[in-house]
Amino acid sequence: MTESQLPSEPSGDASPAKPDSPRRRFWRRMFRNPLGVFSMIWFAILIVAWIWPELLATHDPFKQDVTLQRLYEGPSGDHWLGTDQFGRDFYSRVIHGAGLAFRSIIIAMTIAVGVGVPLGLFSGWRGGRLDRAIMWVNDVFFSLPIILLAMAVIIILNPSLDNAMIGVGIAMSTRFTRLTRAVTLQEKEELYVDSARITGLSTRTILSRYIAPNLMSSLIVQAAIISGAIILIGATLSFLGIGSSLDDPDWGVMLNRGRELFRVHGVWQIVPPGGALILTVLAFNLLGDAIRDAIGRDASNNALTITKRVSVAPASTSHAEGDDVVLSVRDMDVEFPGTDGRISQVLEGVSLDVRAGETLGVVGESGSGKSMTMLSALGLTPAPGRMTRGSVQFDGRDVTNLSEGEWQQIRGKDVGIIFQEPIAVLNPAIKVGKQIMEPLMIHMDMNRDEARARAAELLAEVRVPDPERRLDQYPHEFSGGMAQRVGIAMALACEPKLLIADEPSTALDVTVQGQILDLMAEVQQRRNMAIILITHDLGVIAEAADRVLVMYGGQVMETASAGDVFFNPKHPYSKALLDTMPQNHSGEGALAVIPGVVPSATAWPAGCRFAPRCAHAIDDCVTTMPPLEQVESDMVRCLRHGTDLVLADPAEADA
Amino acid sequence: MSDELLLRSRAAEGPLLEVQDLHVHFAGRGRLFGPTPPPVKAVNGVSFTIDAQRTFGLVGESGSGKSTVARAILQLVDIHAGTIRLAGDDVTKVPRRDELAFRKRVQAVLQDPFSSLNQTHQTRTIVGDGITRHFGLKAGEQRDERVGRLLDDVGLSREYLDRYPYEMSGGQRQRVSIARALAVEPQLIIADEATSALDVSIQSQVINVLREIQRSSGVAFLFIAHDLEVVRHVSDDVGVMYLGSLVEQGDADGIYEGPTHPYTEMLIASIPVPNPTVQAGRRALRQSFDNDAEPPSPANLPPGCPFENRCPVAMDICREEVPAAVAAHHGGRVQCHLHTSGPELGGESVVEFITKEARTLT
Ligand SMILES: Nc1ncnc2c1ncn2[C@@H]1O[C@H](COP(=O)(O)OP(=O)(O)OP(=O)(O)O)[C@@H](O)[C@H]1O
Ligand code: SF4
Ligand code: SF4
Ligand SMILES: [Mg+2]
Repeated sequence: MTESQLPSEPSGDASPAKPDSPRRRFWRRMFRNPLGVFSMIWFAILIVAWIWPELLATHDPFKQDVTLQRLYEGPSGDHWLGTDQFGRDFYSRVIHGAGLAFRSIIIAMTIAVGVGVPLGLFSGWRGGRLDRAIMWVNDVFFSLPIILLAMAVIIILNPSLDNAMIGVGIAMSTRFTRLTRAVTLQEKEELYVDSARITGLSTRTILSRYIAPNLMSSLIVQAAIISGAIILIGATLSFLGIGSSLDDPDWGVMLNRGRELFRVHGVWQIVPPGGALILTVLAFNLLGDAIRDAIGRDASNNALTITKRVSVAPASTSHAEGDDVVLSVRDMDVEFPGTDGRISQVLEGVSLDVRAGETLGVVGESGSGKSMTMLSALGLTPAPGRMTRGSVQFDGRDVTNLSEGEWQQIRGKDVGIIFQEPIAVLNPAIKVGKQIMEPLMIHMDMNRDEARARAAELLAEVRVPDPERRLDQYPHEFSGGMAQRVGIAMALACEPKLLIADEPSTALDVTVQGQILDLMAEVQQRRNMAIILITHDLGVIAEAADRVLVMYGGQVMETASAGDVFFNPKHPYSKALLDTMPQNHSGEGALAVIPGVVPSATAWPAGCRFAPRCAHAIDDCVTTMPPLEQVESDMVRCLRHGTDLVLADPAEADA
Repeated sequence: MSDELLLRSRAAEGPLLEVQDLHVHFAGRGRLFGPTPPPVKAVNGVSFTIDAQRTFGLVGESGSGKSTVARAILQLVDIHAGTIRLAGDDVTKVPRRDELAFRKRVQAVLQDPFSSLNQTHQTRTIVGDGITRHFGLKAGEQRDERVGRLLDDVGLSREYLDRYPYEMSGGQRQRVSIARALAVEPQLIIADEATSALDVSIQSQVINVLREIQRSSGVAFLFIAHDLEVVRHVSDDVGVMYLGSLVEQGDADGIYEGPTHPYTEMLIASIPVPNPTVQAGRRALRQSFDNDAEPPSPANLPPGCPFENRCPVAMDICREEVPAAVAAHHGGRVQCHLHTSGPELGGESVVEFITKEARTLT
């Protein structure tokens, strides 16, 4: 086949900017976390103390003061942390103790990971009866006190810290078995593992090259926390007198001696070993937390941590007039601080109006800013993003600079939101009725009985059969379509003036989608509510929208009545979207495409943002950003609008 | 390569894939004490065939069993009953020693291009692994060259060889998935919602790639999607699933122009068309025969037709007897009592009958 027949993916300009590699991001986050930095510094010191104690120690840790003059001393210039009952230098003993602590960790961890991880991988992958048997034995060991297992090993072998650590390792392996098995069970169901099986890769390859790397992050976090526990257990054993010998510079032994002596010789005797122990255990836990935070996924779109609005520049155009305007947005810019200092401008100059009883459809490719527009208009810009310019009016009131508390009042009562995955919004552990009743009790001042009666009415209104019984069911007992009805009932609960539906029917079968759209239209008529309907399906827009907002690259490209967008699109992007629909494809041959992809929000083209993909682009388009212009009752952002070129076939038009 | 494939598939008389009376059950998850709930009958007697170089489209709502059919063919779930043949060979349950050979013949492109790619591997490895496994070509320049040619085929430049999945857009990732499937030169590719997660504009790019590949390599597709328009566009034959049953199947255009099952008719009537004027009319038609009933649970199927409680033209017999498959005008088969009882449509389109009935009902 030849290149030209294929819609090929240009590299370079149209491909999304290469994001930060996960490894770099990890270290950046680790160093930004003060607790992570503290733990890393502490470990750097300990590791030096372990590998080369002489470098840090000022004295021989075993050298006793034969003159018996300098016992039980406090800190001094000579003995930084004082001396013990034999006049030995505490500081040097603590430093040398680090080596013993690490030795314990290494012995116990080798066994714990060496036994636990393979067992967990095997058990989770095999599944079935063998898995259950292994997990049963594992649980028995898991429930035994760790000290008991350590003692058992000491009894069989002979008393030493090393042998005790073998026991601790066996006990800790149960934690790793559990964790590994849980991750394996979960990863086993992932599509990429299916894909590997379909490719025909062997089980060994899949376990070692697919599942193990994904296990690594949880293992490291777990290992850090367990290491802290191991040190503590080692100290406890020494404290009980069954670990290290009394002479060793072991933190636990030192602590025990200090405890015996501190009545007579003061509290200082327990400070150096105790401090080292506490700091190390703490550092391990902090390290675990820091790693977990650093690995964690990026704050995603739905992480609704809201940022304060600081210095929002005013809009340059005025709001729509009229009593029936429910939401009016003018010139809204929203920015995110990108990685490596670049600003990512996800919305630029967005303006929109919705009136009571009207449905505004919002279309555009993924990432065009549809959801962000709605979130930001309602004061929900996810952190660290922020609105930097613009003005928002809700129901005639300027809400641009409202506090989060004031927003909550409005959103809870006057705005209803329906999401794409209704089941994701419902809490699986709580009965559906209770979830509908909650907002009613908070915002409508109803008592339990009133709220329950109203909840049943609402379910009836969205035509859920047998509402009374359904109130007492859990979300998983609802089919996708029924769950979405519940989502709508919840959104309608407080009689909102504005209903926002973000892809409300995308996850549903077409027949059910029809029912949901009908339902929304019916409720809208009854209540004269404004609806903003976000979807990428132009068919849904054709059915439900009165007016349409076409978005691309964080900008409004066109707003017009539904009829105009479909029969008389003024923007090449609107036209191109229509053309790519299979329904609009006539006859045989390849489907129409919009070549390339949406550019990254950190690197918008300088001129028209659609220019790299636009079939009608001229030289000016590459350099000049077109303004959003009023054309009759519509708005268009295109340098060539009105030249009629866009409506014709580009090939003919440019010929 | 493509010639050899053509020869191979032509040599085998009969269809490339033959699925016969497939049943897949999932055991109900019981409490520790108490009765085990009945099994979920995810696939309930499905039969169809795909000829070499053809595309069979499977549509139906989520949970109707489409993906389970795919997973059964791919040996990813246990089959309760039925047989699957590939060019005559029984592949219902492929023994371990034959698995590698089977994997070389059947490949898949799965729904979510993000989660179906291993995030820790570059494109060269994702696509190259299969080449190493099936052709013994170790990682290196030669293998990269071969991966590069596959990237050409799916319209990606070679620069994408060392990209990780998180460095690509959805459409680009899906192209990598397709290249991976093509790498082993299979006879059949199962595309399970392969374009559903993509934007319309990108979706058409990927569909064009699939069709072009079929033309040049002769591979057959099982194309699963819930978007009927997309399925119509790519498929030669179409099957409609409802609650684990294949209620209608046959020639794609034949079915869309003259559906013989009420559910198919409802599906087609429910597709919103991007034209407000036309859509207003379609909406009225859709509303005239839709009700708010919920499909029954696959763990508790009704004794008769599974569509009975939502069907606008259900009859008494529909509550009692499961309809048998009968020949339909589009050359395929349909499972509905209307063809043998009541109006006795005899395999003809139900559109006229339903429209008339629905009018008299409202
Ligand atoms: N938390 C975030 N941090 C940085 N950028 C973000 C964040 N959330 C969203 N964005 C960016 O904002 C832009 C608009 O995203 P938005 O979610 O509004 O798109 P959308 O049109 O709703 O897309 P879809 O159809 O996929 O839902 C995108 O470029 C996206 O990458
Ligand atoms: S301004 Fe130019 S590039 Fe942008 S949409 Fe209009 S014609 Fe196309
Ligand atoms: S068998 Fe009866 S209930 Fe089922 S689809 Fe046909 S007419 Fe409707
Ligand atoms: Mg969105």
